[in-house]
Amino acid sequence: MELLADIAYGRSGDKGDVCNIGIMAKRPDLYPRVLQCVTPDSVRRHLAGLVTGDITVYRLDNIEAVNVVMRGALGGGATRTTRFDQTGKAMGTALLRMPIGELS
Amino acid sequence: MTRRVRIGSGSAYWGDMFEPAVALAERGDVSYIGFDFLAELTMSIFQRAKAKDPEKGYIPDLLTLLRLILPAAREHGVKLILNGGAANPAAAGRAVAALAAELGYKGLRVGTVSGDDILGQLDDLATSGWVFENLDTGERGLDSVRGDVVAAHAYIGSEGIVGALADGADIVITGRVADSALYVAPLMHEFGWTFEDPDWDRIGAAITLGHLVECAECVTGGMSNVWDLARCPWDIGFPILDVTDASDGVSAVLEKTPGSGGIVNQWTVKEHLLYETHDPASYLMPDGIGDFTTLQIEELGDDRVRLTGMSGRARPETLKAQIGYRDGWIGEGQVVFSWPDAPGKARRGMEFLQHRFAQAGIDPLALEMRFLGVDALHGDVAPPMPTDPDELCLRVAARTRTREEADVVRREVTHLWTVGGLGTAFGTPSPPRPVIGLWPTLVPRAAVNVSWNVEEVR
Repeated sequence: MELLADIAYGRSGDKGDVCNIGIMAKRPDLYPRVLQCVTPDSVRRHLAGLVTGDITVYRLDNIEAVNVVMRGALGGGATRTTRFDQTGKAMGTALLRMPIGELS
Repeated sequence: MTRRVRIGSGSAYWGDMFEPAVALAERGDVSYIGFDFLAELTMSIFQRAKAKDPEKGYIPDLLTLLRLILPAAREHGVKLILNGGAANPAAAGRAVAALAAELGYKGLRVGTVSGDDILGQLDDLATSGWVFENLDTGERGLDSVRGDVVAAHAYIGSEGIVGALADGADIVITGRVADSALYVAPLMHEFGWTFEDPDWDRIGAAITLGHLVECAECVTGGMSNVWDLARCPWDIGFPILDVTDASDGVSAVLEKTPGSGGIVNQWTVKEHLLYETHDPASYLMPDGIGDFTTLQIEELGDDRVRLTGMSGRARPETLKAQIGYRDGWIGEGQVVFSWPDAPGKARRGMEFLQHRFAQAGIDPLALEMRFLGVDALHGDVAPPMPTDPDELCLRVAARTRTREEADVVRREVTHLWTVGGLGTAFGTPSPPRPVIGLWPTLVPRAAVNVSWNVEEVR
């Protein structure tokens, strides 16, 4: 099964209860597929249970990357969440597990 | 006229490694090193330390680090800019001056920057009609938490550091400045830029560059998609910005300490460009707005990357502020179930806890039960549990209103050590910890009075 990790790198971090994930196409020619696969809807479906708020996907055509910004994403934020991954460092790898066969 | 300056980054957080920072001072050929010690929670921790002792409230690592790095910094004329003053830059300055005197650095000039602490101004601002809208939740007005507020700090910009550098400071110690300001400040100072006659593309470039290095090792192969390619991470090199200010704008080469481990390439720069950011066209900082969508990245080889095309816009008239308030407790525990039938024992263990919590009348605000090594990181996104694992580590965490409730959670997990199934093992339980809730908001720039002070070590 083809995963987002096959065509892109990703890294996540936190600000309060907002988690963002930078997703970078591994090659320029893969960027259009990244844009097709990484949408607010696909991210919401894949990370259901982890993210409760709005999701925005910003484009960075200059580096063939997108920035996924998710609100209500960390169980209240690093200081009050009961999650083990308090600062959302593994949210990016969670998204990289997303199957993309049917998305592009 | 084309000018150049080299700036290193020496710390990403409170607790970071000291040796790579010392190596930067010794071998980096840098004029400045910036150090970040502060996370969102840190200010509340140190505000409470300061409340107990007026000479505390700054990062204790500051003195350990300076003792190690001052010899090389003095020998090579490296100026140090550190936000380790946390909630008490003035006390940190006194402690640093005493350390410098002890080490024999008479004549060293120690600067401190203050004004970020706005705890004493909250009520006046509220009276004047400011509503402190919570940027996470949209809630307006601090009424629901005001009685529990322990800290309030605005993210101030570079102006205090620039002032201290202009007054000849060799070391500048700040509280809650924006991380990027640790790097914007020396660029403003060296290149003679001002906010009176601002060039926002240049300042936007400085903000972008500061953002790229502010987490030190996180742009040189730490926390990286290409970590497997990073050489000798135990000798990781911290980043260096070699910045050029020319008639056509600002460009830079991002590199790392010569002879160090780690890696710098397009991926380490891209992954950090987006790290902990929101709208990449509007990276809002107190010094201006960085636009990351115009940056061009070119690999030069040998762990060097050229950065051009950076731009920005005018600084906002509001400053971000973080208000910390007491927000209950977290009780936590771990227990490891053994083969045979570790999953079955784990299920009964969780059932045990639910019953015991109910019997004790505990009603946690949030309760998390996940298996370390299975789904503690990715939750429901993780693949199903393996069919017959040799061991399973259950982690339980609950957020509660009171310390007593949190302690019940901790205690009941430990009871599984003896009341649980055969072969159940355990680690050391951690005591309940107080929760600091964070209220991110904006405050008017005009309400924040940044000042600085530089004193010579005698």
